[in-house]
Amino acid sequence: MNETITKLKALTDNIETIIRGKHQEIKYVVTALLARGHILIEDNPGAGKTVLAKTLAQSISETGLDYHTANGGVTFKRIQFTPDLLPMDLIGSYIFDEGKKDFVFKKGPLFTHVLLADEINRASPKVQSALLECMAENQISSGDHTFDLDQFFFTIATQNPIEMEGTYPLPAAQLDRFAMKISFGYVTEDVEFDIYTNYLTINKGKETVKQVLSYRDIIDLQQAAENVYVHPELVKAIVRIAQATRNHADIALGCSTRGGITFIKCLKAWALVNQRDYVIEDDIRAIAQPVLSHRLIFRSREASRTALSGIVNQEVSKLAKLGITQPQ
Amino acid sequence: MNENSSKISQLIFRYLLVLLPTSIIGYVTLKFLNLSYTSLGTSVVTQAIYFSLGLLIAYTLYFFRARILVTVVLLWIVYWLFDTSIKKLPGEFDVFYATARFQLYSTLFIIGWIFGFLLQRYRWAYVLIFGIIFTVTLVSVSATVDVSLSYILIHLLPSLGYGLYMLFLTPLLKDNAIVTGKQAGRLAIRIAMFALIVVLALLATERLFRGELKAVETELIARGAKEKEKNQNNGGDKDGYDERHGLMEKKDDGLRLKDTMKVSTKMSQSDKLMFCSKLDNYFEDGTPAPLYFVFHYLTRYDSVKESFTRDVNVPSFDEIDIDPTSLPMYYSFTDTSIIRKSLASKYRKVVQAQVYLSENTWKHSVLGPSSVFALQTIPVEKDFQKTFLSAYRLYAYSSELNNAYFVYNISANPMLEPLQDERHNELRNVRNYKQVDKEFVEYYTDIPRGGIYDSIADLARSLVPMDARPVDKVLAVRDFFLRKNENGKRIFRYTLKAGAVDDPNIPSSKMLYDFLFKTHAGYCTYYAGASHFMLRALGIPTRFTTGFATINRSDKNKGWYWFYASQAHAWTQVYFPEYGWLDFDMTIGNEEQREAPKPDGTPPLPPPDPWLVLNARTLDVDSIRKSLNVSFTQFLFFDKPFELQQSQQKKIDASLCRVLYDKRDTTFNAIEAGDSVIIVSYNDEAKRVPQFRANTPIEQQVDQFPSPIVADEIHIYPKKKKEQDKKPGGGKPTVEEKKMTWEEIAWLAGGITGGLIVLIFLLPALYLAYRLLAILFAGKPSRKVDQVYRAALYRFHMAGIERGEETPLEYAQLKVDPKTNAGFEAFMRVYLRLKYANLPVRDGDMATVSTFSGRVGQSIRRMNGVLNTVFNYLNILRALRYFQQPEKNDHENPSL
Repeated sequence: MNETITKLKALTDNIETIIRGKHQEIKYVVTALLARGHILIEDNPGAGKTVLAKTLAQSISETGLDYHTANGGVTFKRIQFTPDLLPMDLIGSYIFDEGKKDFVFKKGPLFTHVLLADEINRASPKVQSALLECMAENQISSGDHTFDLDQFFFTIATQNPIEMEGTYPLPAAQLDRFAMKISFGYVTEDVEFDIYTNYLTINKGKETVKQVLSYRDIIDLQQAAENVYVHPELVKAIVRIAQATRNHADIALGCSTRGGITFIKCLKAWALVNQRDYVIEDDIRAIAQPVLSHRLIFRSREASRTALSGIVNQEVSKLAKLGITQPQ
Repeated sequence: MNENSSKISQLIFRYLLVLLPTSIIGYVTLKFLNLSYTSLGTSVVTQAIYFSLGLLIAYTLYFFRARILVTVVLLWIVYWLFDTSIKKLPGEFDVFYATARFQLYSTLFIIGWIFGFLLQRYRWAYVLIFGIIFTVTLVSVSATVDVSLSYILIHLLPSLGYGLYMLFLTPLLKDNAIVTGKQAGRLAIRIAMFALIVVLALLATERLFRGELKAVETELIARGAKEKEKNQNNGGDKDGYDERHGLMEKKDDGLRLKDTMKVSTKMSQSDKLMFCSKLDNYFEDGTPAPLYFVFHYLTRYDSVKESFTRDVNVPSFDEIDIDPTSLPMYYSFTDTSIIRKSLASKYRKVVQAQVYLSENTWKHSVLGPSSVFALQTIPVEKDFQKTFLSAYRLYAYSSELNNAYFVYNISANPMLEPLQDERHNELRNVRNYKQVDKEFVEYYTDIPRGGIYDSIADLARSLVPMDARPVDKVLAVRDFFLRKNENGKRIFRYTLKAGAVDDPNIPSSKMLYDFLFKTHAGYCTYYAGASHFMLRALGIPTRFTTGFATINRSDKNKGWYWFYASQAHAWTQVYFPEYGWLDFDMTIGNEEQREAPKPDGTPPLPPPDPWLVLNARTLDVDSIRKSLNVSFTQFLFFDKPFELQQSQQKKIDASLCRVLYDKRDTTFNAIEAGDSVIIVSYNDEAKRVPQFRANTPIEQQVDQFPSPIVADEIHIYPKKKKEQDKKPGGGKPTVEEKKMTWEEIAWLAGGITGGLIVLIFLLPALYLAYRLLAILFAGKPSRKVDQVYRAALYRFHMAGIERGEETPLEYAQLKVDPKTNAGFEAFMRVYLRLKYANLPVRDGDMATVSTFSGRVGQSIRRMNGVLNTVFNYLNILRALRYFQQPEKNDHENPSL
């Protein structure tokens, strides 16, 4: 446990040298990483989402390494999504090999461990759906070939708020593939002052982000997250929350079962990020919004702000009133 | 269209929730009111219907936002139309009755209207309505007869329940919010739950506090009894200022004549047997000579209260003031002041009578012919004890001129006129009152001046010259009532429904005036009252007398007279120097209705004549041989009272004896050593009875009493409550419920309410105590941690740090620890681990928990100060917030 904590601390500290005042968001990203999920960061341009994704990737990947290398290093690829991007730009394509006189498959940037999909909602739906398969099934199909991806495949997608011009909103199915969706928001006055005064140092740091975790470390951490203990009462509470979202008057589409499973995975990971090997009621409160909110379709904007937190608060307060019960 | 129909369903919904309970409570209140004020004379259901109708119409009108001004004017017009049309009704229709009824109904209707308006317009109107209903119930309860705690509680419950219900309902029914079907269902469930809670609470209270309630009740009864006694000592003219109609009024112990007399419109009569009497007063030829039985002399006319009242501080007061039923058996009481004050010398004689009081009659005063000066209690023969509760023998000074045949008004029996003339001729010897004490005459001829009184006086003076002899003046007044009109019909007549004037509440003097000058119809109080004023105006000492007219119905049992409630009567006593007070009955016989003579009953057997009555104390009791040793100093020996210098001991043979406890038969075993007993031995031939020898010292005679003395009756004094003895025993072994005064009820209600309020304010502290005890008694470590957690949450909340939406951990981190430094967060971490981690308790955990548990109180006290910490636990609202669910948003999850 102590070893795990040290590793996690090293990771978050490393990211925080570059991203200031975003402690909570960094934790979310790490949570998604440990839960073997993917994360979608939505915010206005210039909030630092790309920097965060990049820093994280750099912290765990070795530059210049190729995919599937023997020493098990972590590779990082970045794709800038644009409306004219085509699926083959992601997946790769068959190219005629003059020497072999045969078509060989030239792997695209998707064959990686950490993928930064920048401005994902600017790409056309066709491209978005290409991402879908590899995010959900860890495999890529092209023509009659199916290529398996590594068990460690982590996507950090960023997107601009959908109201902005030149965007294709992600379909519900695509959104559901993301374990979490977070938004950044602006930093506080003090942090902003700090950033402005030290932007040179920060920029320099960007170039020289150290790798603090190895491929093996990540796999171990993900394993540790799976072993975090969830009390049956908490599972019951999650069941009630999922049920409540489906019956709520202001929610058109409730939480799916996959959403519920993801929620539990994320809870475990979040507990680990918070240096615990068990989940507590506070975790539910902390993580419900990023994990569940983007899976639900609300009937009104007003409801999107209150409905989910209402349900969660009610359940959490029920849990708080519960006595200590030892499961058999 | 749709909106309209939903509005109507709203209205119906509100009818059910608001109007139905209000109508029911109105009905209940009216019922209570009718129990105590029967004069309304209409059925409760009709009254309630009018009330509910007003309520309904007003509620509906104002629901649809009718204009207040317009509706009130309309209401007024309708009312006025009805009123005038009823007054103009033709024919034999009883206008007065109809008007009174209309007034009653319209009042109820308007009250209902106002209630409906208030309920519709003001959310908090129910507070006012509850207040009104509660007060009315309280008043009506206090005006009813026997009041006990349970009685009050039962009567106040409906209004309390209503208040609680409305208190509960009103916040749920927002002003004019639309209530959907689903909400309505939820509301119904809530109301049902509320009712359940109320019922449970009632049951619990009843179960828990039954003993206490009983104790309080007995306590109150005892207090009421004491107060009653006080009133009695004050002269008795204060208690029971009941100005309801009729001569009789219902008291806690049966019917009784009123102490004060007010002339009023109606008189109620009943034919209950009040008492019977054996009166040893005969003409020379042995024919029984009945005498009127006096209850009270009302010597003063209170012009403020418009009523005749008793006045103890009068010149030559000759009324014996004692409660005969409170005296011990064979106790004799003589009021020497009455003998001394007796003003008569001619035709005076001592009359003996035995009076048997039935259960219907009252117990606080002596009934007997005028000027009773001595009485002795006597036992009632066993077979008659059901009819007669107690009996006494009395001795009265009576004038031979006072027998009833002289007193009766000749209108009923003109044959009496020659007989009465004898008396009048005798009384003509009295020329005037010059010889009589001035103060006396002034007191007894005093009448108020002005207006009505002057016109009555003028009327009297026009009948007869002022220098006529007193008896002629009396006759002139009597003859005035016997006058006939040109058709030969009597002008004055007797009726029980006197007055029928428009207002039942006009004062007495006005009624007397109407009686004399307009209606010429009334019952005895009118005649006695009018003649009282007229005679006093003519300068003749007169007093208003209440009591019973004596009617000799049959000669089967000579000297026995039976008195029924309908014989209650009022007449005039006139003073003649040397002859004393003489009765004159001016009341015209009831021509319309001759009542069938009521039967005389079987007279009770005369009590056996005792040769010896010992007032003794038992020394020892031999229950096998049925004998006892007693010591005594006081005794009656052939009816003569004696008191020895030194107490004597005698052996009593009680083998054939009746034993009574508080006038009820009991067994010999009831006698215990040390009891105060009265031992009676009859003078019969089977026994050896010593003769009374006048010249021998009494001590010697006592020595020669037979030993053992054969006792025939032993009366045991009730041993506990000595004071209670002097009170009306009444023969009822059960504790009597006493009428409670207003003040007592107010105190009681106040006490209960106050107690409840105190209890409510103590609830948070009690809950704290419960929480702390739970920590103390928690068994397993995990349970203990749990209890510490709960107690801490509650205590921090009550210390003013309230948890909102946060989870307990956040609460500890962000709110509690920065303020109190109690280490709550550290505890919470341990707690949450124990709760969710499925790990055993670690070594340091319990130490953390107990340290924290100790620091909670400390840190709160440091933050708030000791005093504030204590006061915080009185903050009932804050405690309520603790138990409330955190504020939910409007869209509640229906599955929960």
